[in-house]
Amino acid sequence: MLMLAAIVVLHITTIILLLVAAIDNAWWVNDSVSADLWGKWEFTNNVWHYTNLKDYPEDYLQAVQATSVLACVFTILALFVFVAQLFTLPKGMRFTFTGILQIIACLCIMTGASIYTAKLHVNESSGGYGHCYILAWISFVLTFILALTYFILRKKKE
Amino acid sequence: MLTFLALTSVALLGIVPEQSQAIVIYTGWERHALVGSDIRLSCSFFSWRWTSEDVTFSWTYRPDGSRDAISIFHYTGGAAYLDNKGPFRDRLEFVGNPGRRDGSILLKSLELSDNGTFTCDAKNPPDIVGRPSSVRLLVFEKVPIQAGVITGAIIGVVLGLLVLIVVIYYLMRFLVARRVFSLSVSKHGKKKKEGSQQRQGPVPPADPSKIKV
Repeated sequence: MLMLAAIVVLHITTIILLLVAAIDNAWWVNDSVSADLWGKWEFTNNVWHYTNLKDYPEDYLQAVQATSVLACVFTILALFVFVAQLFTLPKGMRFTFTGILQIIACLCIMTGASIYTAKLHVNESSGGYGHCYILAWISFVLTFILALTYFILRKKKE
Repeated sequence: MLTFLALTSVALLGIVPEQSQAIVIYTGWERHALVGSDIRLSCSFFSWRWTSEDVTFSWTYRPDGSRDAISIFHYTGGAAYLDNKGPFRDRLEFVGNPGRRDGSILLKSLELSDNGTFTCDAKNPPDIVGRPSSVRLLVFEKVPIQAGVITGAIIGVVLGLLVLIVVIYYLMRFLVARRVFSLSVSKHGKKKKEGSQQRQGPVPPADPSKIKV
């Protein structure tokens, strides 16, 4: 019972972290710029302006956008499937479908974060990665752990 | 005008009678536009009184980050007065219809420095008590693309594949179950195969969980 609650809590935490990573604007942070996957905030003339991302390699940026959205979708689906499988799975079986969805989510966020690291902001000297970028990698680790858990876990045989 | 219809419908919904002597002004909340384009800032009001001949509209502009607002437009006594000294000289046009309670203005050739808050104040004597309404203008160099074609394509293809795989999986399980069932029927009686199928009538679908796939 405790383990079940722990897994569900961990899964929900992962969902929240992934959503924050995808939505909040801090993938790349500078003194005057705060950029994420969708746009960037620039601080000019003492005012923050929201502008689009110029000078980004468009196709790589869109790939990162797609994979981060897909990671969120798959991990939310995995939660619902896990709850469904809790009731419908025969005893002694493993939660494979949930595990598969979760590993796909893990692959998606890994692909997205890797592309972001490798192809964007390669030549910029000032600034660093913001908290959303870090959260993306943390959620990669968490989704991986969760996927392994679902592949190993068996439903209790009464 | 559509705004007038919207106003009447809101009035029918029941604007609180204790405000019956107050004027209610409507503008948008936020407007987005591209640099170099034109934008129409709409302003209309609701008042329990008939539209008077002395109706006035005035627009003021407060740039982002500034505390002072400057007046850029005023309509009174049947004539419109446009900004001829400030940041919008030669870029402003009055496109409203005061008789229909519309005090909209048109801003042309937007620049990045036009980011700010535009406030519309309308008065319909003797109904003059009311709160001016503000609309925020955001000017972009390029409209921020939320997601491009590649993003949509990747998401669509992956989710479509997922749905397809799940459907195919359950279809295969169902077909295999049926094939096993029909094989066992033919083993028992080849001659009466059709008859038995008819007698059985609606075949109950085999329970997939009991079948080893």
